[in-house]
Amino acid sequence: MSKPTLHIPAVPARPGEAPDFSYVHLAPAGAALRPDPRVPVRETVELADSLIRVLDEEGKARGAWDPKLEPSVLLAGLQNMVLTRVFDDRMQRTQRQGRITFYVRSYGEEAVSVAAAAALAETDMLFPSYRNQGLFLARGVSLVDLMCQLLSNTRDMCKGRQLPVMYHSAEKRVFSISGNLATQYPQAVGWAMAAAIKGESQLAAAWIGEGSTAAADFHHALTFAKVYKAPVILNVVNNQWAISTFQGYAGGEQRSFAARGPGVGIAGLRVDGNDFLAVYAATQWAAERARSGEGATLIELVTYRAGAHSTSDDPSRYRPREEFGEWPLGDPVQRLKQHLIQIGTWSEAQHEALLATVEEQVATAWKQAMAFGTLNEGEKLDPKLMFSDVYKEMPAHLQLQCAQMESGI
Amino acid sequence: MSVTSTMNMVQALNSAMDVMLERHASVVVLGEDVGYFGGVFRVTDGLQKKYGAHRVLDTPIAEGGIIGAAIGMGVNGLRPVAEIQFADYIYPAYDQIVSELARLRYRSAAAFTAPLTIRTPCGGGIRGGQTHSQSPEGVFAHVSGIKTVMPSNPYDAKGLLIAAIEDDDPVIFFEPKRLYNGPFDGDPDKPAQSWLGHPMAEVPQGYYRVEIGKASVAREGSAVTMVSYGTMVHVCIAAAEAEGVDAEVIDVRSMMPLDMDTIAQSVEKTGRCLIAHEATRFAGFGAELSASIQERCFWSLEAPIERVAGWDTPYPHAFEWQYFPGKQRVQRGLRQLLNIEG
Amino acid sequence: MARYSMRLPDLGEGTVSAEVIAWRAKVGDLVTEDAPLVEMATDKAVVEVPSPVTGRIVSVTGSPGESVAVGAELAVFETESVITPTSSVASEVSVPVVVADAAPKVTAVVDRAPRPVRASPATRRRAFEAGIDLTQVRGSGPGGRILRRDLDKTSTVEYQEIPVIGVRRVIAQRMAEAKRHAPHFAYVEEVDVTELEWLRQRLNAEHRAEWSYLPFIARALVKVLQQFPQCNAHFDADRNVIKRYGAVHLGIATQTPDGLKVPVVRDAGRGDLRALAAEIRRVTEAAREGRASRSDLGGSTITLTSLGKLGGIVSTPILNLPEVAIVGINKATERVVVRDGKIAIRRMMNLSSSFDHRFVDGYDAAAMIQALKMQLEQPETIFAE
Repeated sequence: MSKPTLHIPAVPARPGEAPDFSYVHLAPAGAALRPDPRVPVRETVELADSLIRVLDEEGKARGAWDPKLEPSVLLAGLQNMVLTRVFDDRMQRTQRQGRITFYVRSYGEEAVSVAAAAALAETDMLFPSYRNQGLFLARGVSLVDLMCQLLSNTRDMCKGRQLPVMYHSAEKRVFSISGNLATQYPQAVGWAMAAAIKGESQLAAAWIGEGSTAAADFHHALTFAKVYKAPVILNVVNNQWAISTFQGYAGGEQRSFAARGPGVGIAGLRVDGNDFLAVYAATQWAAERARSGEGATLIELVTYRAGAHSTSDDPSRYRPREEFGEWPLGDPVQRLKQHLIQIGTWSEAQHEALLATVEEQVATAWKQAMAFGTLNEGEKLDPKLMFSDVYKEMPAHLQLQCAQMESGI
Repeated sequence: MSVTSTMNMVQALNSAMDVMLERHASVVVLGEDVGYFGGVFRVTDGLQKKYGAHRVLDTPIAEGGIIGAAIGMGVNGLRPVAEIQFADYIYPAYDQIVSELARLRYRSAAAFTAPLTIRTPCGGGIRGGQTHSQSPEGVFAHVSGIKTVMPSNPYDAKGLLIAAIEDDDPVIFFEPKRLYNGPFDGDPDKPAQSWLGHPMAEVPQGYYRVEIGKASVAREGSAVTMVSYGTMVHVCIAAAEAEGVDAEVIDVRSMMPLDMDTIAQSVEKTGRCLIAHEATRFAGFGAELSASIQERCFWSLEAPIERVAGWDTPYPHAFEWQYFPGKQRVQRGLRQLLNIEG
Repeated sequence: MARYSMRLPDLGEGTVSAEVIAWRAKVGDLVTEDAPLVEMATDKAVVEVPSPVTGRIVSVTGSPGESVAVGAELAVFETESVITPTSSVASEVSVPVVVADAAPKVTAVVDRAPRPVRASPATRRRAFEAGIDLTQVRGSGPGGRILRRDLDKTSTVEYQEIPVIGVRRVIAQRMAEAKRHAPHFAYVEEVDVTELEWLRQRLNAEHRAEWSYLPFIARALVKVLQQFPQCNAHFDADRNVIKRYGAVHLGIATQTPDGLKVPVVRDAGRGDLRALAAEIRRVTEAAREGRASRSDLGGSTITLTSLGKLGGIVSTPILNLPEVAIVGINKATERVVVRDGKIAIRRMMNLSSSFDHRFVDGYDAAAMIQALKMQLEQPETIFAE
């Protein structure tokens, strides 16, 4: 007779062991049905447990989810993913040089941000997590602006108040990144509720990691999104790892994260997050659903965090180094490149040229950003900025403290 | 001058939201039971019927969700007035308030802001036990980036709530629930009073503001300054009168920003200061008041500053009147303070 | 170690209490025998009371202004201790000492640190603004805290408040008492002192002295009083008797820095003029310098009062109770007078006297002054036996 024992989620492979992704439930490209975006929630249950894929092993687009994009859109997507990756690599190096204090790469999951941004309207509001720099780049926020934030220099959009990578862009409608996980989720729902209250057609989209789905704010967001049918797209970037914590600890073993959508009462889609076309198509589907008044969609984007969690992290201490090479969904940049070559729009030589151009672009931007100072060199932000923007008007006690600081107290 | 009517605090708060819902399409009210039912204390009574379910929203029972969503609404151009049904239930929203609401303007260098008002009934004296009686104003006054206010009468309640809704900074608006229907002098054995006939219950029907960040002198005097807010303002006045002390009672009204000028002016005049609040004493808001008064008025002090506050325990149901810092405790504090010859 | 309790001695003649003016040492101080301990005021004088032993003061009784009963404990000393005053350096540097025996050693440190001031911030500010050094103010509040009213005693903000203590209080009490109880009969007569002036100058030249009129008048008064014993008397109100004295113990009203005092020339008729002048000088100087002994300050039977050059024409002296007569000397000056139908210039001086009319009739008073006048106008009679 069996008795209950405490279940400890299984981690497929630890350092020194062979990578094992047999736990990842896969489906062939083109296999998933694409229902009308206005279907009742219960008709998305299968999609939430399945895996929406468009690109096959050869780079061919297959099935009903193929968004049939113009080559120019695909090319722009590739360029933005390459830009994201080159930018990440370069910033990682500058952190090692001591010029910035902290950095977070999105290596291996660039499609999650870039494809979604491409599928949404420019007026839609994006609520990113700290690994969504692709959203800023795809929306056209300048490299120099992002770099100045990383440097906390005189042109820092956050005026020296935020850890590197906590960007924002009001102009490009990308919300301020918080260091606290999942808080942006209910905020995105509220933003979408406001749009609906005002009768506006913009929607909100938010991203969190699969680890953050354990937070109360995830559940608050889903509940509010369901109750009010808020025009919001809630993305869960399942990159398998929350620092050293495997996705099983967020509850990914028994059921997909996407399945929590229909479980709560909103549509759910499980998507190949390294497939630019699939991410684009799923986002497009969810956007159409939201704009038609059918409410929110929870999209799980299955991907792999190919790099470290941050510059403070060393993943070789908790997972095999070779994992990314064995990752069944491949590299998003390679897969879109392969597709573009496959459809005759792109070549290896063009890709090499693109890489060189982007490297140059990032290097040039870095020089420009450095001209506005770094944390340790050159011009510095006025420390008085510490006291502004706490409130709209500076209260008397802060004025006093500001004066005290200036006088060296 | 607009037409006035006699209102209790519930009606005054209701009127404030009514006025603001009427004036600004961006104002929305949300919270548990606030819509169809009109709130467990009836503060939002009739508003949904008048302005519709899209502007007066009943919400799921998730305080973190209410505040998280309200922040998003604020970012998207609305002026949400969120109700947390009891201040005791505000803690699930603490992260959203402290890490998000309070910091948003700062962290984004004013690129994003959320002009949110959080209304929440606080305080004891209603036999509510420890989950319906807390006064967590000090917890929020401590947080940079939000304003914290607490009215003590219907007139201030309406004027301050209108000012809070119009404020571009987030405001936590504490409503001393014991004062909803009448002033309370801290003596539970006396029959309950209504607001009827109280001068501060004459409330303009229309729009007016009571500026956030200004304390008021609730009673003039010269022998001692009593600094308080909410229910305790009335207890202080009653204690001063029972004790026959020529006390000046300052109603702080706004914990942050704090009107130290009004407080200091009084303490410099009287040389003696008693601070009274319902919240627990240790590291309570009275500690900030005491420290600030000491810094500003040290050379005027004839005696150590006296604090009368709730005991440092949870709020007990059966021992409510032993816990509540009522008239007797304030009187004792006054005597202690005045017995010290300067 | 032993305790020595010092009780307040009778500082006057039959005084029942004395008022503390100022402590010269405080609790914790180590005092040596005969070192100044406390200044006390009796009815008549401020007296410095020395420490009777060498020891550390454990406790004292009475704050300035307070009265201590004779026989009551004034101070307690810890004596025969190993304590010896140490130098300031030695007491401030603590040197670790290896102690061989287990018994804890009592190491006393002389308390020389400034007294920590206990006062509310408001009092401190008032003191600062008024320029008052709070270490010099004695606090009457709990734990010696300086109160607002303690400060007001020394405050100079609007007016100076001077506590009526010590000699002044005694003066005030006695003046008021005299006026309240004794119906004063005032009598003024002029005296031709032309002859006395010649005599005085001659004697001063002969004896290289600087005698004023006072010893002459004193001597004349002593003589006259033999005929008027009712004026050389005390009224004992408690027993309701008049005490007529044989000897004249002459009080000399003297202006001192502390106020009016009345040192006494005992048995003023005892010696010659020189001795009398010297004794007057001695007791008045001692009174002025605050070093009059107890016997110098009590027991006068009649008082002479003179304002010297400020004497004016007439004054109305107040009796020095329990005496019944006081003779005031006004200023001597040359005046035009009629002598034997002719205008003459004579040196004239008025005597303004007061008598307790309860016990001295106006006739007797006038007769006494007339007798004195006769003596002074024929000064050789002063010296006749």
